[in-house]
Amino acid sequence: MKKLALLFSCTLLVFSCQKVIDVDLNESNPQTVIEGNYTAEDSTVVVRITNTSSYFNSDASQTVNNADVTITDVNGLTTNVPFVEAGIYILENYAPEFDTEYILSVQANGETFSATCEMRTPVLIDDITYEFFPSIFGADAGYAPFLNYQDPADQTDFHLITLGVNSKEWSELTDILQQDDALVNGNYVERPLFGRSLFEFGDTVHMHFRTVDEKIYSYYGQAISNATGGGSSAPGNPDSNWDNGALGFFSAYSSSRKSVVIE
Amino acid sequence: MKYLISCLIVFTALTTSAQKFTISGTLKDATNGEDLYGGMIKVKELTNVGAISNAYGFFSLTLEKGTYTLIFRSTGFESKETVVELNKDIELKVELDIPKDVQNIEEVEVKAQKENENITGSGMDVTRLDPKDIETIPVLFGEKDIMKTLQLTPGVKGAGEGNAGFFVRGGGADQNLILLDEANVYNASHLLGFFSVFNSDAIKDVSLYKSGIPAEYGGRASSVMDVKMRDGNKKKFGMSGGIGLISSRLTVEAPIVKDKGSFIVSGRRSYADLFLKLSKDTSINQTQLFFYDLNAKANYRLGDKDRIFLSGYFGRDVLGINDAFGFNWGNATGTIRWNHLFSNKLFSNTSIAYSDFDYGFNVGSGEDGFGISSSINDINFKQDFDYFLNSNNKMKFGVNAIYHTFKPGELSGGNSSFNPIVLDTRYGLEAAAYIQNDMKIGSRWSLMYGLRYSAFNLMGDGTAYEFDGNGVLTNSTEYSRGESIALHHGLEPRFSMSYILSENNSIKLGYNRNLQYLHRVTNSTTSSPTDIWVPSSNNVLPQLADQIAIGYYQNFNKNMFSFTGEVYYKALQNQIDYRTGASNFLNELIEGEFVYGKGRSYGLELQLQKKKGKFTGWLSYTLSRALRTFDAIDNGREFSARQDRIHDISLVTMYNLTERVALSAAWIYYTGDAVTFPSGKYELNGTVIPYYTERNGYRMPDYHRLDLGATFYFKEREKFEHNLNVSIYNAYNRENAYTITFQEAENDPTQTEAVQTTLFKIIPSITYNFNFK
Repeated sequence: MKKLALLFSCTLLVFSCQKVIDVDLNESNPQTVIEGNYTAEDSTVVVRITNTSSYFNSDASQTVNNADVTITDVNGLTTNVPFVEAGIYILENYAPEFDTEYILSVQANGETFSATCEMRTPVLIDDITYEFFPSIFGADAGYAPFLNYQDPADQTDFHLITLGVNSKEWSELTDILQQDDALVNGNYVERPLFGRSLFEFGDTVHMHFRTVDEKIYSYYGQAISNATGGGSSAPGNPDSNWDNGALGFFSAYSSSRKSVVIE
Repeated sequence: MKYLISCLIVFTALTTSAQKFTISGTLKDATNGEDLYGGMIKVKELTNVGAISNAYGFFSLTLEKGTYTLIFRSTGFESKETVVELNKDIELKVELDIPKDVQNIEEVEVKAQKENENITGSGMDVTRLDPKDIETIPVLFGEKDIMKTLQLTPGVKGAGEGNAGFFVRGGGADQNLILLDEANVYNASHLLGFFSVFNSDAIKDVSLYKSGIPAEYGGRASSVMDVKMRDGNKKKFGMSGGIGLISSRLTVEAPIVKDKGSFIVSGRRSYADLFLKLSKDTSINQTQLFFYDLNAKANYRLGDKDRIFLSGYFGRDVLGINDAFGFNWGNATGTIRWNHLFSNKLFSNTSIAYSDFDYGFNVGSGEDGFGISSSINDINFKQDFDYFLNSNNKMKFGVNAIYHTFKPGELSGGNSSFNPIVLDTRYGLEAAAYIQNDMKIGSRWSLMYGLRYSAFNLMGDGTAYEFDGNGVLTNSTEYSRGESIALHHGLEPRFSMSYILSENNSIKLGYNRNLQYLHRVTNSTTSSPTDIWVPSSNNVLPQLADQIAIGYYQNFNKNMFSFTGEVYYKALQNQIDYRTGASNFLNELIEGEFVYGKGRSYGLELQLQKKKGKFTGWLSYTLSRALRTFDAIDNGREFSARQDRIHDISLVTMYNLTERVALSAAWIYYTGDAVTFPSGKYELNGTVIPYYTERNGYRMPDYHRLDLGATFYFKEREKFEHNLNVSIYNAYNRENAYTITFQEAENDPTQTEAVQTTLFKIIPSITYNFNFK
């Protein structure tokens, strides 16, 4: 739908213009932001705790360095996630147990927050294929990679995908592509992926295919829409898995990676 | 119902003493035989006695035996006087002429049709537009558009820059009932809303009811926009058309049998894509981007008592890039109507209307292609009676049944990776019966009171779902074809009264309750053809609106100026919005994504209009609020609806400089829309995310714009006339904000900035119009 709106906008571009303007925004009270990632592939929990700042403030975000962070597994075993530096807390060598829930708890800014997320068994990339796309609307021609995988039929799956080229990884929030199985459950999926640009002959294309839980998938969809300005006339804060009003998310996820050289 | 009718008859049959006779007949335009709707029949000898012709030009007036002078009047026509000796029932066929000097039809009346009908009429104010009267008002790209001109009248607010969608008195955009010859139009706009589907050449008349809505209309909470297509010239062949920047139009009309029947066919097509074909780039020259409309209507008189009308509309938008991608949507409507005169007092109209709206995508072609489609269609039966009981009472009653078929979405996968999906088709029966009386009491009071009873039955087959307060699925039930899933019904009382203070001023009061069983939920900035219509169900309750309005009307300088002041208060129940992060794409659990709340709006509308002379136009000012409360949004705090534009001013002027040159200008100002801006920010994944604290807590910058237009009429020949219209949209090049987005600065990700997009800066346009008579 967004692409469609974009296409329409292009046709109206002849008449429209954009400019940076000054807007008076209110100051809100700082809120706790917790970004927790537990990656199965390197058995590491990384938590970053910050506070919100006023919108046009250009300083780096204020970090929270004295929080108590713990992770609890399905057996009720709680492990401390130690502080490392500048709002970042890291726990290494924490081996995942797939298809179980983890609880991340944080005591910060005088409040207690907790979030639950399921670590899903990774769905694996089967193959990366590619196809040449001719120039369209003045954009450069090039190759687009195709993600190929077998979707498991007996479960609902949610994925986040990022691409990279040669030594660069396109891993900003707005680079993330989403794939669920609402329309493709149980099928062998071949999907073209369009990143920041098409790829050139000789490029090495990297693909990072994450398997996440439903709440996280939905959270990313909303956060990406907010970060890009979205098409919504009434945007809201993404629906987080944190209780007690913290912003951000706790995502426990597994991954599959592959690379291919376009030749 | 029978009980009600007898009550009304007893109530209204006040006097039966003297011997009475009925004058009935039809009122027509002498030049082309078109029926005159809303023409006035006055009796010179009696004050405050008269009749008004209905939508088919029919009138009926019952008086005591005697000799009377009847005056027939309609805007833009010369009045006619006839003396009648009333000692038996009389039938009249009256044709009114256009004044000889055509350029001097200066009574551009957007309001009342008769010189002082705004004062003496019983109903609340109805906004009426005749496309002929508004042709000189400047508009975007020179495309005449009745829906955009309506937005210049008080209480009606446009859905955004250049948009044909509108909000009436704080209601939602889906709360306007848009009828084209009785058929429901579900999506009244082309190209994401920039043009309405109504081709002005094919339109006879538009009435917009904002309050005191007559009982014959129902199904939407806020307003009724009743569009009537032209019948076609009954006297002779005619061809007219125009060539503009965006589209060209051609209309052909002719009698089938002179004075007995006629037809009209009118077409319009945009042609931006024809220029794209000139490009050497294959991706551009194979791009399709156009819309078209086709209106056709025929009518035939079978004897004196019967008349048949057939009308149809077909319009589509088509968008595509060679075989890679296609998207198209459109409306189709068709109406068969039969007018029958049971007696000189009882007029009947029977209509069967069909309407359809659908959209479809297709991506790719051949083996890997897939498509998505959705549609809604109606079969509508309507039986209306106009009963002219006596000169003081005019009744209307009838029944209406609409059979809806909803196909919310379907995905056909072909050999692609997609599984085919077909969301359950739903069927709905919307039925109503109404009765209303328009009554005069003495020479100063008039009353209009009516009651409408409506019901909606949603039927399977398929699965109905139940959800808890957080939208989590709790239960599902299977239904077979035709089995009732949910039944909603209710009474809709309608009432208005007026008190004539003098020939020149009056006060009016109106109340109406409206139920709405179909809802279009949207959260995007622009209106999109993919905004789906959702029927009331076991989860979704009918929207309910109660409105009370009071108005004061004054004419001065021999009806040259009129002043209107109205205040209103409207309460809305069962309003619908999306939950945060809702997904509406092929979602069978869509009803779990809704949250429900209520709304209220209130306002003051003032309008000063100059109706006669070389210089005509109006100045209107609206002070209003539109507020909503949802438990699930901002913890139940009341917030401004997007269209909560507190101040709204329109100044529209038309000036006939010479016989050949007409000038016009329109200036619009309104408070910026209520919007949600961030009150803070945070970082995720290294990207800045805006932090929102409240819904619609901020304002867009105030909007204002001046449009200028000039129409040059070339020397008229006996059989041919033509003119050139030049207009400038946004003449002082104001950069109005269409959207404001908050994002990382492009060249410095550590900085954040607000970027304003302006859609239309200054746009000159030119249109050539011709008419073979």
